Amino acid sequence: MALPLPPGLTQAEVAFVAEMELVTIVPRQRFESIHLLGGKTPALRPPHRAELPLWLALLLKKQRRANIVCPPWLYPASLATVIHRETKEDPAAFSPPPPTPSRAHLSAPGLARRVAEHDAGMSAPFVPSCTADAPAGYLPYHWLEVAEALLAHAGDDMPVAAGEIRSLLRDLVEVRAAKMRSSAATLEGLGGGLTLLRGVGSMELAESRGFVLEVVDGVRKIGASLEANRREVEEMRGEGGDDEGSDDDMGL
Amino acid sequence: MSYYDIDSILTDAEKIPCTFQLDVPELGYLDNQPGQTLKTGTKILLPLWIAEMLAIANTGDIDNKSFVDFDLPSALGNDVQQALKADPRAVPLRDQSAHFYALATHMMDLSDEPQLSATLRRTFVTRAAEISLHARKVGGGVGKGKGGASEEASNIGVGGAGEEFLRGLEEWERKLFRKAHDGSKAAKEWMETVKKH
Repeated sequence: MALPLPPGLTQAEVAFVAEMELVTIVPRQRFESIHLLGGKTPALRPPHRAELPLWLALLLKKQRRANIVCPPWLYPASLATVIHRETKEDPAAFSPPPPTPSRAHLSAPGLARRVAEHDAGMSAPFVPSCTADAPAGYLPYHWLEVAEALLAHAGDDMPVAAGEIRSLLRDLVEVRAAKMRSSAATLEGLGGGLTLLRGVGSMELAESRGFVLEVVDGVRKIGASLEANRREVEEMRGEGGDDEGSDDDMGL
Repeated sequence: MSYYDIDSILTDAEKIPCTFQLDVPELGYLDNQPGQTLKTGTKILLPLWIAEMLAIANTGDIDNKSFVDFDLPSALGNDVQQALKADPRAVPLRDQSAHFYALATHMMDLSDEPQLSATLRRTFVTRAAEISLHARKVGGGVGKGKGGASEEASNIGVGGAGEEFLRGLEEWERKLFRKAHDGSKAAKEWMETVKKH
């Protein structure tokens, strides 16, 4: 109560965090590597691509020292695939996050394993998913923030007109917001209380966090007395039926 | 429920119908009969906080009677429940009680109403989805410039009936609306700032 901030990150904070995502750039000038808190950046040699954090890439882009490579999932074809999956193939669920990178080892061809070359705990939000070799057809965790930033500042580096991509993004945002809304209705029946949020982006989470928390809390308050009754009955039964339960266990 | 929770206090002031289980001398003025004895079986509307006390407290009688018996208030009455079962979105809950859900949960604490609980749950989530829809659309001034024809159209679709629906929201739902609206508003503001710098 003392702190007026709502739980979770605000939109501005989410957008700030998203600037740590690695993107691929094509430098136009030589640029020595610099030491940052997150480690050294690669030295930039003009024709070679390099991976930089989004904020640095945008800075270089604004100074016309680099071009940003559009991540594969931001191509119109990839976005159209995702929209198709969200609306036609599986209208109930959010499209899944990008798969963890996996690769078969030379000694065991055919058996793909997780790649653990960067760091150990790699899964959806932590895999570098906005670089040029990210898989197409999946939305990474920071999709909306990165897409907006790229469209606003590097619109001329996009494969097609920024307006076209933007309208596809708008469609996607609307479709997913509608799903988030209808997910509230799945709380209707007893036991139907779990809403699967797999594949939801961080900006969408920040947007609907307040609403979802409030709905779940309301449902909890409405069901509180019923739940208390149920517990009481269970406890009463537990006292009488303790022996039966253990008998069943013995039978197994 | 904090001590200073204004909604909780206001909920306690909601009147519920009570039936007295014993004669009370000198209390007749409650039933418009000053100076008389209040008879057993008189029905009177009492605020929730005192009705709760009287219903739970024991008279010390042998047959374990309480002072009053209470019924569900009219806001939770049978006809309202039936209407909610038919279409949760069509009932202006605020007309029934400004603290509809708070009152209902309080009543359910006092007496066992499994049917009511299920109805309310369904009502709440159905209306929540609707509220979220309106929360995104209201204050369309923000989304006007870039939204294009489709967004404008959906605004019109919701418009007329929407205002009526929003007026019928009770306190919990208003809070919900504010939360949902804050979320989409912040998202829109962020989108504006991205373009600026």
